[in-house]
Amino acid sequence: MSEVKQRWRLVFARDEEARYLSHLDAVRLWERAFRRGEIPVATSEGFTPRSRLIFAAPLQLGMLAEHELADLFLAERLTAPDLRDRLAAGMPRGYRVVDLHDVWVGAPAIAPQLAAADYRMTLLNVERTALESAAATLTAAERLPRERLKEGKSIPYDLRPLLLDIRAIPPDPKAAPPEAAAAMTSVWMRLRHTQDRGSGRAEEVVAALADEMGLVASPASGGVGGEAEADETRAEIVAPAARAVIEVIRPVRERLWLVNELDSEASSGGVVG
Amino acid sequence: MVAAARPRRQPDTPEVGTGSVEQFHAPAPLSSATVERVLGKVRKPGRYAGGEWNSVQKDWAATALKWCFAYPDLYEIGMSNLGLRILYEVLNDRSDRLAERCFSPDVDLADELRAAGVPLWSIETRRPLREFDVLGLSLGYELVCTNMLEMLDLGGIGLTTGERSESDPLVIAGGSIVLNPEPIAGFVDAVVLGEGEDVVIEISDELERLGWHRRIRVGGIGERTGEWRRGVDRATALRALARIPGVYVPSLYRARYLADGRFDRLEALDAAAPMTITGRIAADFETHVRGVRQLVPNIGIVFDRAQLEVMRGCTRGCRFCGAGMQSRPLRERAPDVAVDAAEAILRATGYEEIGLTSLSTADYTHVREVATELRRRRPQTLLSLPSTRVDAFTVELVDAIAPTGKRGGFTFAPEAGSQRLRDTINKGVSDEEIERCAQLAFDRGWSSIKLYFMIGLPGETMDDVLAIAAISRRVLQMGHRRHGGRAQVKVNLSTFVPKVMTPFQWDGQDSTLEIEAKVGALRQAMHGKGLTISWHDPTSSILEAALGRGDRRLGPVIRRAWQKGARLDAWDEHFDYPTWLAAFAEAGLEPAWYAQRDIPTDERLPWAHLGAGVSTAFLLRDRKRALAARATADCHWGPCANCGVPAATGFACQTGEDGPRTLLVSVGDEGRGWRYIGPPGDPRRPTTASSAGPNALSGSGADVDGDNVEAGRGERRDRPYDLPGSEMQSKDAGPDGLASPVEAAGDESTG
Ligand code: SF4
Repeated sequence: MSEVKQRWRLVFARDEEARYLSHLDAVRLWERAFRRGEIPVATSEGFTPRSRLIFAAPLQLGMLAEHELADLFLAERLTAPDLRDRLAAGMPRGYRVVDLHDVWVGAPAIAPQLAAADYRMTLLNVERTALESAAATLTAAERLPRERLKEGKSIPYDLRPLLLDIRAIPPDPKAAPPEAAAAMTSVWMRLRHTQDRGSGRAEEVVAALADEMGLVASPASGGVGGEAEADETRAEIVAPAARAVIEVIRPVRERLWLVNELDSEASSGGVVG
Repeated sequence: MVAAARPRRQPDTPEVGTGSVEQFHAPAPLSSATVERVLGKVRKPGRYAGGEWNSVQKDWAATALKWCFAYPDLYEIGMSNLGLRILYEVLNDRSDRLAERCFSPDVDLADELRAAGVPLWSIETRRPLREFDVLGLSLGYELVCTNMLEMLDLGGIGLTTGERSESDPLVIAGGSIVLNPEPIAGFVDAVVLGEGEDVVIEISDELERLGWHRRIRVGGIGERTGEWRRGVDRATALRALARIPGVYVPSLYRARYLADGRFDRLEALDAAAPMTITGRIAADFETHVRGVRQLVPNIGIVFDRAQLEVMRGCTRGCRFCGAGMQSRPLRERAPDVAVDAAEAILRATGYEEIGLTSLSTADYTHVREVATELRRRRPQTLLSLPSTRVDAFTVELVDAIAPTGKRGGFTFAPEAGSQRLRDTINKGVSDEEIERCAQLAFDRGWSSIKLYFMIGLPGETMDDVLAIAAISRRVLQMGHRRHGGRAQVKVNLSTFVPKVMTPFQWDGQDSTLEIEAKVGALRQAMHGKGLTISWHDPTSSILEAALGRGDRRLGPVIRRAWQKGARLDAWDEHFDYPTWLAAFAEAGLEPAWYAQRDIPTDERLPWAHLGAGVSTAFLLRDRKRALAARATADCHWGPCANCGVPAATGFACQTGEDGPRTLLVSVGDEGRGWRYIGPPGDPRRPTTASSAGPNALSGSGADVDGDNVEAGRGERRDRPYDLPGSEMQSKDAGPDGLASPVEAAGDESTG
């Protein structure tokens, strides 16, 4: 175990080349990146010391991201340009550091401060108007009883309090439709993302939308839908073949929000849940 | 970690075709929408997505000859292969050429590609395989041959040489099984024997000289047919390749058979076709380390670590081992070369662990020196190494480099249960030695010992089989005394597979009934707490032997099996023996005839025109010794056995006997002391003819390894993953019946 001299909060994005990594893969890749860049990362104690890099929220396999958060603890102080350089030297392909802030070493852990996450998913075979009304129905509902698969069992829960906001938006310009796709539109949503009061899952909202529209959602590309359980989840969703299928492409987590950020955005007239 | 001077080398970035006058063939890649859609429906899409560190994306318009390495097994296996990492770097080092990669798709992707009408693409730039100039196939195991067909088919390439169009790539195979490529001869345009580092360059130079990469439009300007031809026709290109040493072009020969089904002879159909072809040896292995910027996968693979080959070749002379017999002469890297290279590789990859690889790294003269120096320079880095020795030195070595703390299993591979049979296979370790090693491993904290044995070895009797039970029980008792109820002995049985170009190439396999009887008896003799036996259904071994000793008539059998659905045959969950039996039957052939027949030593062999250096005369001599249960000394320090390698390859051997090199060899009871053996005439040199100490002929394995990442499916049968990179690069290759892999040390759950 090495003493922590500095703590950096990294804001990073993930694009196509790193898209199909699981959370564990990502951790391993970042550790290698630090070694390549010779970044003096503090290590945790234990039999196999791990680099002290703490991601605010694991990113699902298949999910792209634009504004993720991680805390990196260093055993030696570095200047911001130096750290930027070293990160650039070894960063795995498909990850981009957008910003970095020097944080007080003793500041509270990052994960418990999370409040929400914004997602943008692009849906094939869905008309904008149909999506708009389905979104309105979800917003208007008082309760949205759904089931979530966990270790093979389905657990009933209420999706409504986890859904802070949802809108149909114009198609993601980066989502190239496959040749034969009929209609394409995108949906934006803000979901609660907390450690103690639950987190919404974008693909479950899409499934709820699909139910509303009388359609079936096929899994998002690359199996967004949980790592270990991806297979079962998929089998579950695809089952009723009779209904038309919504295909999800280019799922993006646009941003993670901390409690204080969301509060200040709300008070300045931003989106409210 | 230190924040000292840091190199700022990025992995290769796309090369832009600056100033290049010639624009080369550059078809459009598959659209990302197409790829995303297909990958959205499969397990583990990270296998096919690319973006790995040190992978290279080049501009097609600015690169002449384009290779795609097609590894006919899943990503997790293929990416672990050191040979691929080496050749990828060797070819991409030239900015005007490129090499990309492709691995076998798992069945879900294969089905999805067929359903969507999407061709199999290369990982780097997502071009269909048929767009490349050369497809380099790495064949390290007999049972991957259906994967090869699957890749060709999905890649849009004609399956056989006759079905390929002028625009299809040349399909060139290398790897350990191509020492008998006759069963697959119809599917490959050329075969590279031996080590690939130099010959891939020679092949590339020749093809570029001939204009194989040039595309000349057929028809008038502006015609949109897309028709084109290459700068040279296929037949001419193949004849030119046949003149390169080590390159075998099967279509220039015809095989003849006798009326009773035996092989008669091979006839050359062209003046360019040499009648014997010997495997290549890389020119400068000792001094020049290639494969520094090794590919680093994004997802977990089987050997998820950096690898440095410290030694190539093996002179132990285990008579069942194809890799060992075929990889001579022995070459070692000097300690400073090895240490510097290891550091460079670690820096270039960011890996936290490095394997010092070879067929048996405990035999590497400088193993201690290199391990110690690496420990000193990079205390955080984990080391691992494979060894085929059963001796105290190995245990000490593994103990020294294994992490302390909880230790999982230590593996030894005595291979045979009785001393007599071990002498027959030239793995002459004694019972006492095995017990001493086991005791030492238990003393050093390992509570579980894995023992690898083969069933069905030539000359094996039921007594030999039951001796496995006896020694295993004795080892377990020792474990109980040291660790109580925690002690475990896991016995792993595999079926003997005769390998071509070994002294046992003429010996047939036992029939399934015999094998089952032996294993049944062994099971009866071995039960009790702490003792487990694992073995595999021997049918895949029959197929392995049949394909390994097969001839050209097996080509249609392989194709038929694939048509009937055989693929990923190396994986238990996919292997279906009845499919293969049916395919054999349709061709009027039987696997047993190929696998179980004792071939008379005067019969002509279908692979006789190919060689790896070791002479048939030596193999016959050594076989006689085997039948008399007599050992052949390891020429690393013992006398030369005149195996014929220098005459065939032009490489002089520097052995303890007649070479200038000085050797440090561990001998003695504890294996801890070093004894100096100098060149001939050196007063410190022992004088006995067989100077090998008691350990010299021992064998077995140890590898410090914890991270057996699952490839995401059932167990793959061929065990030795722990072998150095194989394929075109070194003849050993992994999975071909090598001594034994082995994990020892370490907590099996870490990593
Ligand atoms: S020629 Fe002699 S020294 Fe060289 S590998 Fe063969 S047996 Fe060993």
